[in-house]
Amino acid sequence: MRRDVFQAIADPTRREIISLLASQQLNLNAVADKFDISRPAVSKHIRILAECGLITIKQQGRERFCQANFKKLKQVEDWAAQYRKFWNNKLDALENFLDEEKTTKLK
Amino acid sequence: METQPLIVERTLNAPASKVWEALTDNEKMKQWYFKLESFEPRVGFEFSFAGQGSTGEKHTHLCRVTAVEPEKKLSYTWRYEGFPGDSEVSFELFPEDDKTLVRITHTGLETMPQNGPDFAVSSFSKGWNYILGESLKKFVEEQ
Repeated sequence: MRRDVFQAIADPTRREIISLLASQQLNLNAVADKFDISRPAVSKHIRILAECGLITIKQQGRERFCQANFKKLKQVEDWAAQYRKFWNNKLDALENFLDEEKTTKLK
Repeated sequence: METQPLIVERTLNAPASKVWEALTDNEKMKQWYFKLESFEPRVGFEFSFAGQGSTGEKHTHLCRVTAVEPEKKLSYTWRYEGFPGDSEVSFELFPEDDKTLVRITHTGLETMPQNGPDFAVSSFSKGWNYILGESLKKFVEEQ
């Protein structure tokens, strides 16, 4: 089974869980309470997110807390950013070309 | 499902006619874009080039012109030979006095291979808006 950050965010419930954990650490029950789906279903999403490295689960006393792992999320943003960077580089080249064309004509 | 495109904009210090030439005249394209064997701004025209892609990979790019509105809009498909996915790039020109705002819109990126040919595209497309959406962007920038 493929387990990476791209798969983690492919599911809407998992995206919601990440958003929820973005602002706060929550224990497993608190996460499950926010959703209408069954507790085992929420647990499964949390397990996938943990396997993908997007959240970490820490045992604190009798409770298990979930925390988002932002370094992993950055990977997804980086992938999108590569295309942004690519087109920005091309625009730099176009800008230079147009400037040079103008200068050559003035000479 | 409608997904959010990647949009990059820049105001260039040249009139739209000059920008259009740079985008469509192969001799000029060679000087800043990619070295193509030939290029014609005509719907249906197909071209390919072995270029370095956005991620440093050296794949053959396959493109087909899909829209031509002189000095206004140029679109072509953008995919990699031997890989799944089909995206489309549009260049739109908006004159601003003697300058031109260029807007590059890349749609369908969510169908492109992320981790090589075995990438499961279908599952990713749904996450695409999330990536480009403000929420994730903010949330990553805030960290």
